[in-house]
Amino acid sequence: MKKILLLLMVFAAALLFFQSCEKDLPQQLDFEAYEFTGLDEDGGDWKALLIGNPNQIGIPAPESASSPAYLAELAALKTTSAQITGAQDAAIRYWSSNALIRWNEIARELAAKYNLTPAPNPDGTYSAPNPAKPDQYPLFPFAHPPYTCRMLAYWSGAQFDALIATWHYKYQFNRPAPYLADPAIETHLPENGLPSYPSEGAAIAAVSQVILTAMFPLEKDFIAEKAAEHKNSLLWAGMNVPSDIVAGDSLGRAVATIFMNRAKTDGMANAQAPKPVSDSLRAAAQANFGWHWENLETPTRPVGITPLFGQVRPWCIPSVEAVRPPAPPAPGTPEFQAAAKELEDFADNLTNDQRLIANFWGDGLGTYTPPGHWNRFAADLMVKYRENPLRSARTFAYMNMAIMDAGISCWDAKYYYHYPRPSQVIPGFKTILGIPNFPSYTSGHSTFSAAAATVLGHIYPAEKAKADAWAEEAAISRVYAGIHYRFDAEVGITQGRDVANYAVNVAKVDGGE
Amino acid sequence: MKPIFIALLLPALLIGAASQKLLAQTPSDALMMEKGQICIAALYTHDTWDHYWEGKLKRDNGNIGILTRQTVMPMFALGITNRLNIIAALPWVKTSASEGQVRGASGLQDWGLWIKGTALEQELGTGKLTLHATAGVSGPAANYLPDFAPFSLGLGCVDASLRGILQYNTSSGLYLRGQGAFHLRGNCTIERDYYYTTQGYYTDEVDMPDAITYGAVAGIWLFNNTLKIEATFDGLKTLGGFDIRRQDAGFPSNKMIFTRAGGGIQYYFPTIKGLGVLATGGYVLSGRNIGQSLALTGGITYQFGIW
Repeated sequence: MKKILLLLMVFAAALLFFQSCEKDLPQQLDFEAYEFTGLDEDGGDWKALLIGNPNQIGIPAPESASSPAYLAELAALKTTSAQITGAQDAAIRYWSSNALIRWNEIARELAAKYNLTPAPNPDGTYSAPNPAKPDQYPLFPFAHPPYTCRMLAYWSGAQFDALIATWHYKYQFNRPAPYLADPAIETHLPENGLPSYPSEGAAIAAVSQVILTAMFPLEKDFIAEKAAEHKNSLLWAGMNVPSDIVAGDSLGRAVATIFMNRAKTDGMANAQAPKPVSDSLRAAAQANFGWHWENLETPTRPVGITPLFGQVRPWCIPSVEAVRPPAPPAPGTPEFQAAAKELEDFADNLTNDQRLIANFWGDGLGTYTPPGHWNRFAADLMVKYRENPLRSARTFAYMNMAIMDAGISCWDAKYYYHYPRPSQVIPGFKTILGIPNFPSYTSGHSTFSAAAATVLGHIYPAEKAKADAWAEEAAISRVYAGIHYRFDAEVGITQGRDVANYAVNVAKVDGGE
Repeated sequence: MKPIFIALLLPALLIGAASQKLLAQTPSDALMMEKGQICIAALYTHDTWDHYWEGKLKRDNGNIGILTRQTVMPMFALGITNRLNIIAALPWVKTSASEGQVRGASGLQDWGLWIKGTALEQELGTGKLTLHATAGVSGPAANYLPDFAPFSLGLGCVDASLRGILQYNTSSGLYLRGQGAFHLRGNCTIERDYYYTTQGYYTDEVDMPDAITYGAVAGIWLFNNTLKIEATFDGLKTLGGFDIRRQDAGFPSNKMIFTRAGGGIQYYFPTIKGLGVLATGGYVLSGRNIGQSLALTGGITYQFGIW
């Protein structure tokens, strides 16, 4: 009896010890605020994407350094930053020295949250999200890969232009940072020496708020709260006075509005084509090639994901025809049979490593999608290379424009060729991941990934080999999973690189190399 | 002394197969092996569902159809002393769906090891009151993927549990039993390093909610203690976890709740010393983030002395 009680007590103690060892799991990239490797003082002269000359985004000239208004702002800031609370300190550490990292994380997280496919109605039909009634099920948006890549492209393109304009005015007005104007002002972030008017942080927050609220309308309040905290954290950290922030906010909103005006007319509103249009694409492929893709879900989804995403206005490629890959091998040909046999062999003999690769790159429903995955890699590199926000915005912009162009090009091929998935053609074939609701050729993962890796490899030559290897792994992961043929993946890689070279060529002459 | 396996097999869950895991830790009866006696059991469970609860919403899924989970489980119980037993189990599981394009999984699930002790035996009225306690640990026996709903073989985490079992036996062979356990769960590891629950996580580790399990049994021994018949009720509730969102897939750290009713019958051949057969069944009455499973189990037990 005593022995048993003793045993139980020892066991209970072990349980408690075990419990206490559990650590909190990371919910964001963990990095310390850093000093920038460079300030890119000439950044205001870089070629912007949409806004033209930064002078077209007007902001008022700042009050002079000796004006009573500015001196009062400095005095108030001195008090504010000397008395921060624990919560304010946590906010400063969170937003840190390059808040693009955080806003990109938030954008990715919203993509994951909204990346859910509509459930069937009781009568076996499906409803589509309605942007006019976003809170009515199915909620708007369904942040699938085309939606997410476009969201990230607008977000980062607008950041890039806003920060070019911000840099332009910073070095035009040359208002010194508050801690240089009054060395008694306490700061809680590295003193980077950037002229402080307009505030780059406020511009970033404003662009993020405008773009992300438009893309995720149900998150309006959440995003507003984040933007307010971000801007306040700049005061708490002693980095900006309120007039810096007002100017940055106004500039960011103006630039974001220009980008959203492009978004309104880029063709995305028509991308989720109605069934008759979708059926006509299928019929055209059947007539042209003798095959077509079918959705195999129960109940059948009447239309695939964004059949007309291939008609959305691209950023850098001249047309989808310029980068459209050749036709895939017809089912039944020896080349097709070899690809099908390979899939069956993988299915029968999948190794643990192959399964791990398939799942690691899965990036399916409920995740930030492959474009989100590459944004995460890019953010890691920005921290590694201690980039200033302008330089980071440039990387995000070219990468995400290339990714969106890759998506447009890939979707063009998907619905032009309308090629069936392996499980449609190979009798009895099953997969280890869910089959996405669009045609097989070419692989979206491969095209997105090759485009992203090409831009990252151009911007970070030391990372090129690694980025290319990641893209190759993302591509083959779909073959291991059984949802793509090897030729979907390999041609997708070529297509993604071809598309991204157009973005790289724009980057080469923008003044930021 | 009768062998101890009235297996109360918990149902295959839709989502993470939590209860299969708990099964293994549920030597939840009030019987003990005598010193030097060993009992070996082989159990087969056929468990199916065609509806599940997505959060609180009960639904079917045309891309799953009927989910079938088959389990083969060898189990051993050994009497170290008359009041202290050791129990071990190692289930092998196979899952498949009647519809959809995704293939199922099969393989070893979780090893389980328990120590069971008699804490109290007390004459009370015309009967006897007993209190037993079980302490157990289980964990993945193979590299199965817990993040593979609804096909995952198990939850993929270490589970340490502590159970109390109170039983009253009348002199006429009737008995009533109530039992409950707390399960402390470690993290499970999945094969991607970002996932979204109610927020994003940048890790391949998943913090699993702890859980409680409980059950009540009314039973009777008949025909000179050769036949046992039981009516059972049991349940599980995780302490935390999140609901599956509309049309999302399940995840190991979902909130999981179920209650279930069932019964069991066990027969010991009077002519073949130590040999018994058993059959049990259970049907989930209510649930959350779990399949409404009907589980049927058959098995044989053989008991003999080794010292």
